Amino acid sequence: MSTAPDVPAAPTVKENPSFEILYWIGCAAAYDRRAQRVARAMVRLLNHAKVNFAILGREEKCTGDSARRLGDEFLFQELATANIGTLAKYNVKRIVAHCPHCVNALLKDYSQFGGQYEVVHHTQLLAALIKEGRLPAVPGAAAAPAGDVTYHDPCYLARVNGIHEAPREVLATALGGKSLCEMKRNRAGTSCCGAGGGRMWMEEDPKRRVSTERAKEALGTGAKTVAVGCPFCLTMMSDGVAAHGGEARVLDVAELLVEKLGL
Amino acid sequence: MNPTRETFGNIPLSSQLAFYALAAVATGIFCWGVRRRWKLWQLGQPISFREMITGNLLAVWERARPGARRVAVDAVAQQRVRGHGFGTVAHLSLYVGFMALLAGTTLLEIDNIVSHISESLKFHHGLYYVVYEYTLDVLGLLFLLGTLFFCWRRARKPAALGHRATDWYVLLAFLAIGVTGYLVEALRIVWQQPTGLAAHCSPVGLWLAGYFAGLGEPGARSAHFALWWIHAFLVFGFIASIPFTRLFHFVAGPMNIFLAKPSLGALPPVTMEEVEKTGRVGVSDIRHFTVQELLSLDACMECGRCEEACPAFATDKPLSPKRVVQDLKGLMEETAAGLAAGQTEFRALHEDTIKAETLWACTACSACVNVCPVRIDQLRLIIGLRRHLVAEGGLSGTAATALRRMQSNANPWGLPPAERAHWTEGLTTKSTS
Repeated sequence: MSTAPDVPAAPTVKENPSFEILYWIGCAAAYDRRAQRVARAMVRLLNHAKVNFAILGREEKCTGDSARRLGDEFLFQELATANIGTLAKYNVKRIVAHCPHCVNALLKDYSQFGGQYEVVHHTQLLAALIKEGRLPAVPGAAAAPAGDVTYHDPCYLARVNGIHEAPREVLATALGGKSLCEMKRNRAGTSCCGAGGGRMWMEEDPKRRVSTERAKEALGTGAKTVAVGCPFCLTMMSDGVAAHGGEARVLDVAELLVEKLGL
Repeated sequence: MNPTRETFGNIPLSSQLAFYALAAVATGIFCWGVRRRWKLWQLGQPISFREMITGNLLAVWERARPGARRVAVDAVAQQRVRGHGFGTVAHLSLYVGFMALLAGTTLLEIDNIVSHISESLKFHHGLYYVVYEYTLDVLGLLFLLGTLFFCWRRARKPAALGHRATDWYVLLAFLAIGVTGYLVEALRIVWQQPTGLAAHCSPVGLWLAGYFAGLGEPGARSAHFALWWIHAFLVFGFIASIPFTRLFHFVAGPMNIFLAKPSLGALPPVTMEEVEKTGRVGVSDIRHFTVQELLSLDACMECGRCEEACPAFATDKPLSPKRVVQDLKGLMEETAAGLAAGQTEFRALHEDTIKAETLWACTACSACVNVCPVRIDQLRLIIGLRRHLVAEGGLSGTAATALRRMQSNANPWGLPPAERAHWTEGLTTKSTS
């Protein structure tokens, strides 16, 4: 038995000042119970791959993506300025986030206000770790998920930032070589889950929801699992699948990888 | 043998002079029409045109290069027209045919001009002539085929496609230009009687000439002269029509592609200095858009790709990106006309032109921006309008609550910032060993 003191699984920048990459959590994984499981899955994967990371903890604020896209430019700028200050304080250079809206804000919005970072989506980091052989399965790992799997490309990941192969590379590992059942509208041509532009925070008539339409397309592939790469898509696709009385599971790519590796 | 044909063969000098006079008139109408649209765009906030053209040539080129590249790839090489099935096939056919005929006519005129300097400079003969005639003869068919494709599509009236009365005028004019072009060639072959390669390099014209062989040389010459004039009138009519029909996308499309910096995922920032200077946030008047944004409205062909891609439109929300662009364009025209008539009150931009519910229906998914062949940024227009609504307190309900919570608690859930890392509780700690 080791006698060394235990360190937290997800250390803050204060607890691990020599971190190499900052894990940006985002509001969804901080407060939404379902999205919290995505962050926990990521922490398991990061530690399994021995990635030297840290989180901002209480010092992280909303990136302001929703505010900016709703048209509240000054609220966005207030949040951006605060976050840029915090990131500067801890000398953050590299960031990984599992939320495409956070990725886009940190990458494209913050650069307008002096925040220059190397920002990657968690699927990009995971794909790289897999390639480096840093994410081996544990002995007696679970099998790939039963039934077909489809992947819903988030708009702000695939279309806006051109990231659509990394999630598929991770899924190739998570599915043990089984191929994805692609929806007709995929990659840059993906169709919205309905949560962008601040619509996450608006009521929508249950009769014609954007999420219901997209879930119909996903279920139409015959998939029993809908993989996503965004916490907002996670909420929307779960609602959409439920609206169809579907039994399909909606999971983040990282969660599927954790299942496959048996972590 | 040196295959060639005489430029302006069978056309008397008086007609040649009248031809150039009419060409000048048509070009004049074209320029006047373009100027009218140009003035409309000047209603908007100035963009730094001057900045673009200051400095030495190298600096100007460096600045212009990304735009020039976009024009080369998106417009000239038609990259952004791709991906729309039959519509793409129709556009590519018409485009390739049209550009070939335009290039052909231009080359012919260059040959004509240099011949006035010295007959030895003429190049419209020999092997060049054979290749020229054959290429244009074949690509002319592509031009006609493309026009027929568009006629067929328009007759079926796809829901997303815009319809104007002048659309049929344009398509029928194209058909008439193509058909009379071939007839002029056929009749020329009848009276000129070329042989060998000089005849066979115009397969379509030669085939048609078979039907007119009975006219004999004098008959063919009169018919040729008459049809030549009809063809010329149609072409001049077409040139003059460009700024007044959908054909204006020839001009506004590439201009917008040149000026519109790709901005997927980015929005223009607003500074406090700007707000202090202008006393406003966002767009509440059509004149608050930039010159480039107003120009982009004129580039819209109403092809409907944005509407087909829009998730809000697909779920019966009161939003169509195409409608937004067209409604703004209508207001731009109305405001300009009002200003010219000395009015000071105009139809309001918000509510009277674009309803708040339309603006709030947008998910900012950028599908419309991504598919627009002429790089209109519908999202940027919408966010500009949203900024005004928010500044005026026009957002209510759950979204307004989310904004208040972001202000007070730095998260849209409105939960305490101190609980931000509560999700880590229960995570097994790792050992440093």
